[in-house]
Amino acid sequence: MRKIISSLTDGRGFDIGLVALPLGFLFLMSGLPLLYNVLMSFQEVDMFSLGSFVRPFVGFSNYVALFSEPETWPIFANTAIFVTASIAGQFALGFGLALFFWVNFPGASWLRGLFLVSWVMPGLVVGAVWNWMLSGDFGVINFLLRESGIISGNIFWRSDPSYALWAVILANIWLGTSFNMILLSVGLSSIPDDLFEAAELDGANVWQRFYTITLPMMRSSIGAIVSLGLIFTLQQFDLFAAITSGGPNNASNVAQYWAWDLSFRQYDFARGATISVIMIVFVMFASVVYVRSTKQEVRG
Amino acid sequence: MTQQIELSGVNKYYGAYHALRDIDLSIRKGAFVALVGPSGCGKSTLLRSLAGLESISSGDLIIAGEKMNGVPPRKRDLAMVFQSYALYPHMTVEQNLTYSLRIRGVKKAEAKKAADEVAATTGLSILLHRYPRELSGGQRQRVAMSRAIIRNPKAFLFDEPLSNLDAALRVHMRKEIRMLHDRLGATSVYVTHDQVEAMTMADHVVVMRSGLIEQQGAPLDLYDRPVNRFVAGFIGSPAMNFVPAKVGADGETLVVDLGGPQTIRMARPLQPGLNVIVGLRPEHLLPAEAGRALLHLPVASVENTGAATHVTTATTPELTLVLNGRIPLSPADSVPITFDAAHLHLFDAKTEMRLVPA
Ligand SMILES: Nc1ncnc2c1ncn2[C@@H]1O[C@H](COP(=O)(O)OP(=O)(O)OP(=O)(O)O)[C@@H](O)[C@H]1O
Ligand SMILES: [Mg+2]
Repeated sequence: MRKIISSLTDGRGFDIGLVALPLGFLFLMSGLPLLYNVLMSFQEVDMFSLGSFVRPFVGFSNYVALFSEPETWPIFANTAIFVTASIAGQFALGFGLALFFWVNFPGASWLRGLFLVSWVMPGLVVGAVWNWMLSGDFGVINFLLRESGIISGNIFWRSDPSYALWAVILANIWLGTSFNMILLSVGLSSIPDDLFEAAELDGANVWQRFYTITLPMMRSSIGAIVSLGLIFTLQQFDLFAAITSGGPNNASNVAQYWAWDLSFRQYDFARGATISVIMIVFVMFASVVYVRSTKQEVRG
Repeated sequence: MTQQIELSGVNKYYGAYHALRDIDLSIRKGAFVALVGPSGCGKSTLLRSLAGLESISSGDLIIAGEKMNGVPPRKRDLAMVFQSYALYPHMTVEQNLTYSLRIRGVKKAEAKKAADEVAATTGLSILLHRYPRELSGGQRQRVAMSRAIIRNPKAFLFDEPLSNLDAALRVHMRKEIRMLHDRLGATSVYVTHDQVEAMTMADHVVVMRSGLIEQQGAPLDLYDRPVNRFVAGFIGSPAMNFVPAKVGADGETLVVDLGGPQTIRMARPLQPGLNVIVGLRPEHLLPAEAGRALLHLPVASVENTGAATHVTTATTPELTLVLNGRIPLSPADSVPITFDAAHLHLFDAKTEMRLVPA
């Protein structure tokens, strides 16, 4: 007993304790639910068997059934569009802003801090604000588009099937841009100035410096932000709940919202779990990319 | 003789701060010029202004006959070796070397050939495929040099390139850089705060203080005829001793104040009663034979390096002597000292400028 206690204060016991505590927490709070989720996707679950662990095992039939549904592929396609467009938009705007604030004009860091406001806003609030802005009859977006002559009639963003998904994407880009900007700003400022000076003396113009110094030096930051972006957009739920509720007629439905809808509104837990398991695969992939890119920092 | 770099009346302000004051400097083709001065005197600022990394506020900068005031760095055709080396961490040594060539659109095979050639002369051949993080400090320094050499630029700019190396390697690289300079027939501007480095490497030394050029010239000229007390104290190691003194009534003697007055003769007469500062280099103070001493100095401490005896005296101000060989001295002894009157440096006590007749 003494030995165990002394190893806790000055030996491996302390290290093991440090690792075991978060691991135990993670296992309990994330690992078990995850495993349970995977388990459910192979079981037949209904309202009456909800309370018990032991349920009829049905193999892959939940998966087979899922992919024979007519709405499955469109919803997965929506998810892909949502994720790709959101990440692309957030990254492009975020990188642009990061480069802009990098110039360090007076008040730059102050203004950059203000941008973070969008990121700390709850998704439901952001959704509500965008609801107003996107509103068909009196929304400010329609007003701007109309006044600048881009459209002639109002767009009903939230109820028009061809725009509904894009309405959520727009709000999500707004929500995620500042996070991208901050992370990319950090990446930018960790590049030593003298590299750019050396490149400048070596004859490189602004674009050449961007492609040969900035981008390669940002590789790990970019890898991290894109994989985090994938995880965050696959998690994005509030905006769908607030803006379109997946409608009209699934036109803006995505996997994460659908899984929730199936599980908690239609009580089809097996189907909901099946979708989640498919998403887990993508998130795991993103996590691997994230871990790899933060490990591969190239710093001289 | 053609001038490779010419600065006339160059001023540089950082906001209200006057970082460079009326800099006039001509650097002929093939020269090795050292910029020295204490920290914060504007050496780097001057070098960076040459490179175009800082813009000058007024004055003219001419490189190889062309006015370069507003020209961006990439069009100045100067190569710089940074104190931090500034190697591209995501590129191999070879890619570092060929970067400037690739930017200019030189063909791959040709760039590789150039890199091989330069690497052979700087001893980097076996390191070409390493990344900078896999190199030692000395090797990185070589890569930085090679990256400059491969470009064959109008001039090399060095900003304290050796300050991150250990003492032995620094002495070695000093020679190597100078040899490379001569072999390439290059023009070099070399910033250092180490006056020994400046004296041993350069043909032309520029001493700066607070953004001003205090004196420039051949290293030994600066050593022999410093124009003011600052340069006199800055050049030479250990530093020159300064003693307040007054010219005697006859105009031929000096009454030096070393705690108590002692009288010495000058080489040339000065205005009687003038307050001066006497400068004496430690290496010019010699032990005197009995009865021929010009000064008697009480000893405070003695350090023996084997080849020389360093003595600090118990006078105010205290003096440093470097006596050749091993001299048996202990604190509380008095050491008789002589010197050649021609080695006296005399500065006006008020202006601190050199008094010409001395
Ligand atoms: N970007 C800047 N903004 C304001 N002041 C500056 C800037 N860069 C340099 N200075 C000031 O200009 C002066 C000269 O700086 P510089 O870097 O040229 O000194 P230095 O002689 O190279 O010194 P060191 O030996 O320490 O490198 C310093 O007083 C410094 O504070
Ligand atoms: Mg400097």
